[in-house]
Amino acid sequence: MATYVARNGIGERQRRMEDFRFLTGHGTYIDDVNLENQAYAMVLRSPEAHADITSIDASEALALDGVLLVVTGEDWKAAGYGTIPTKSGVRNFKNGSDMKEPPHHAIAIDRVRYVGQPVALVVAESLDICRDALELIEVDYASLPAVTHQSEAIKDGAPQIWDIAPNNICLDFELGDEEAQKKAFAAADHIITLELVNNRVTAAPIEPRGAVADYDAATGKYTLWNASQNIHANRDIIADNVLKIGKENLHHIAPDVGGGFGGKNGVYQEPILILHAAGQLKRPVKWINDRAESFLSDTHGRDQVSSVQLALDADGTFRGLRTETVGNLGAFCGTVGPFTPTGGSSRTQGGPFKFDAIYYTAIAPFTNTCPLDPYRGAGRPEGSYQMDRIIDFAAAKLGMDPIELRRKNLIPAADLPMKSPMGLDIDCGNFPAVFEQTMQLSDREGYAKRKEATEAKGLKRGFGVCMYLECTGGGPKEEAKVVFRDDGKVELSVGTASTGMGHETVFAQLLAGHLGLPMEDIEFHQSDTDATSMGGGHGGSRGLEVGGSAVTQTSRQIIEVGRKIAAHRFDVDAAKVDFEEGRFHVPGTNHTMTIRDAIDAQNDPDNLPDDLEPGCMNITSVFERGIISIPNGGHACEVEVDPDTGTVKVDGYWVVDDFGTIVNPMLADGQVMGGIAQGIGQALMENIVYDESGQLVTGSLMDYALPRADDMPKMVIGYYEDAPTEKNILGVKGAGEAGCVGAPPAVVNAVCDALKEYGVHHIDMPLTPERVWRAIQDAKAES
Amino acid sequence: MYDFGIKSPGSVDDVKAALAEAEDGQFLAGGQTLIPVLKQRLAMPSDLISLGRVEALSGIQAGGDSISIKAMTTHATVAANNDVKSAIPALAKLAGGIGDPHVRNRGTIGGSVANNDPAADYPAAVLGLGATVITTEREIDADNFFTGMFDTSLKEGELITEIVFPIPESAGYIKFPNPATRYALVGVMVAKIGNTVRVAVTGAGPCVFRVAEMEQALTASFSPDSIKDGLVAADDLNNDIHASRDYRAHLIGVLARRAVAEACA
Repeated sequence: MATYVARNGIGERQRRMEDFRFLTGHGTYIDDVNLENQAYAMVLRSPEAHADITSIDASEALALDGVLLVVTGEDWKAAGYGTIPTKSGVRNFKNGSDMKEPPHHAIAIDRVRYVGQPVALVVAESLDICRDALELIEVDYASLPAVTHQSEAIKDGAPQIWDIAPNNICLDFELGDEEAQKKAFAAADHIITLELVNNRVTAAPIEPRGAVADYDAATGKYTLWNASQNIHANRDIIADNVLKIGKENLHHIAPDVGGGFGGKNGVYQEPILILHAAGQLKRPVKWINDRAESFLSDTHGRDQVSSVQLALDADGTFRGLRTETVGNLGAFCGTVGPFTPTGGSSRTQGGPFKFDAIYYTAIAPFTNTCPLDPYRGAGRPEGSYQMDRIIDFAAAKLGMDPIELRRKNLIPAADLPMKSPMGLDIDCGNFPAVFEQTMQLSDREGYAKRKEATEAKGLKRGFGVCMYLECTGGGPKEEAKVVFRDDGKVELSVGTASTGMGHETVFAQLLAGHLGLPMEDIEFHQSDTDATSMGGGHGGSRGLEVGGSAVTQTSRQIIEVGRKIAAHRFDVDAAKVDFEEGRFHVPGTNHTMTIRDAIDAQNDPDNLPDDLEPGCMNITSVFERGIISIPNGGHACEVEVDPDTGTVKVDGYWVVDDFGTIVNPMLADGQVMGGIAQGIGQALMENIVYDESGQLVTGSLMDYALPRADDMPKMVIGYYEDAPTEKNILGVKGAGEAGCVGAPPAVVNAVCDALKEYGVHHIDMPLTPERVWRAIQDAKAES
Repeated sequence: MYDFGIKSPGSVDDVKAALAEAEDGQFLAGGQTLIPVLKQRLAMPSDLISLGRVEALSGIQAGGDSISIKAMTTHATVAANNDVKSAIPALAKLAGGIGDPHVRNRGTIGGSVANNDPAADYPAAVLGLGATVITTEREIDADNFFTGMFDTSLKEGELITEIVFPIPESAGYIKFPNPATRYALVGVMVAKIGNTVRVAVTGAGPCVFRVAEMEQALTASFSPDSIKDGLVAADDLNNDIHASRDYRAHLIGVLARRAVAEACA
């Protein structure tokens, strides 16, 4: 079969190339990687939230037949390994002093600081022997007082987790003009304040984390297969900072990865521990996290408590916004953890709305909980929740219409380009047009009838909106490398990392579309430090923006070289050679040459002009974006609420996204749907709960509620495509995170709209049936 | 899992013999609870005695005034059975709402009832419909069967062979699923049998229980309005991250009314 893609691959509904492999059980996920003579590893995790390790006795475990190695903090100290550094983009307190970064070792040394922290690694001939050995290791702990909630952690007298961090504060932060904000507040008619919680969640990818480490004693080189989203940067940290073996001695590969959502972004302890073990044992070592361990040890997301204040005039004009947040970091600095509640949540404050001034402050404390790191959106969902909740709350308090309040305050298209009060470069877009398109898509005219039908069932119906403003992130550079093989296959290697979202399709689509080659000829490679010299992995909705631009750039360069080869053959000036649908042609002549002819010609010097070398069409190029792009859009949601039980059903969902150019609408739809599903999950049911002693209460899928397919509404998705950005070659704005940036406020706004007749104007997420029912009871009792 | 042996006898007598021979044997029915428990190393039986090959333990028989379901009958079979669907539709509905398709095609009525999980559905059916549990030793009334959390009056080595449900005049079952597990956060079975009404509640307490106040009110008048709020005290109900005891107490009233409405429909 040969599939050709038109229009340089842009706008084509190309089906996913990877799905046949995934859906027929032929993917290579981390547990499918098995090496000859491999040993197995398991981790002994701390049962204590905060305790001194007074002794570890592994002698019985070591005596067990088949146990090869037990690694503890003492071994780590003796080896002199380095710590795992944080790469947070914000590193200084408001007063300029350095953030408090405690030493994060791959294994607990002398003290544990959260339940689930690795205390020992067991390596044995089989997993069953590992399990037996874990039960034989005796660890004595001297318990210390623990603190799990960020608001408690910063109080005087709270248990201190790190000596270097008084009141457990790792970092504080500000952005915006405080004086201007105060002035705007002083001049405004109303100031509305809302305290809200952005609940703690976990990514729960369908494939748990895992890794296989190998060591080649002959060369001194290590190889690590790792279910990771970010292999280049993490290779550097693991090899250079921690193990100190030099990054050239670590080949880091991510095979097919079954979901990441940020939870597989950071550097984790276990892959480092098994690299050490593989080096010690001179044989491969495999480790796979189980689901229960995943809840304990995968970095969590969100977890902010905030106070939001909106200052507005009597006519509804927004004047100022003031947000104060406290974002939980867990027991250590995650790989970019401290950035999330500080810089991450600050940049999109104010959303697509016009303000005289905005001032944002944050405190990021340590607690005795699993470290936090980015989770799909990494701070922007928190910002959009703050913005779109305060609008509806203010509207309710002041008797205004939340739809009209938005309509009135959206930044007019004529104001773009602009720099937002948070310093964001908003180059293009049309927020009022997106808003009206969203309203139109959501069938406002039919609402009254739907509401009537809902009420006939004894239920309440509500409608909620969110107008989100997003920004992309992650590394600014990406490499795309193309090699034409003698067997006709085209190897395309890109430094981004797909965890299932379809890079194998969209990047091939761009290359095939540009060159006029069939999709099937392209063989995609990613997430391998040998395949590309650099790579920014996955995160910040950067895949298409940076990786897709790199593929496009490389494609164009290949065509230019091909044009010279064609010009050489036809003995004309290269400027006279056209290229269209895979064919070079000299207009007005019968001189044509296919791209395949040019590829076949490229290895013979006789076919080449003097300035080209054999292999000249095998091109690697690096694209670097200057400024991050600004995706934006409107979400509209309808819910049915059962007032007798508090049950919420999302009964309709409409979204219009401005992602700039849409390269593959099916993949974009998939990103939006998945993001909305996670947003609905956070809004209605997902919640990581620690008790006061630091034990994880939601340690399994029996207690952590994940949304299921039948919790999802039908989603109607539209795009606003009249504002491609000039910040990258493709004109795209990142699509990966937007769904869960917009969904939580849209859902909560809809529920509050349904319950406004009771006087319910805010409920903290997740909106579980009991919380909704209780809010109704409390409101009834008050009135 | 720890190591264990497995035996698959073909008759009830051979099952008994296998258990007697085993050092610390355990019956394996559908395995939907036991296998996860073993995987987590929370149990260490010497031998599993699988009941899957005992043909006499499987099947559904409809009589004039009762339906007998053999212990190894799967939830999916009960849900799809035409006799059950026409005689006790609430029971078919209950079975069709347990777990997911995988669970329903492996899990069995005998296994579920013997396990007596406080959030399981079947105990509400057995108690609410006033069924009789028949074992290798005797017949046990539903009212004397469920004795506490994960506890029943079954003796060591006693095996459920079938459960006999009297056919009620009408019955309704409403379950409020736990959003995480989809077990019953609260489930209420209401049945009108002759002149009596039985109301059984699962999920809300440590063990399935009847609500005498509701039964009396419904015996007087079988209508949703007969059930007033506050008939169940919250004190002894379950209290966890999914639902407080007060909320569970409230749900019992709401669901009981809906179950009566379903029974009346």
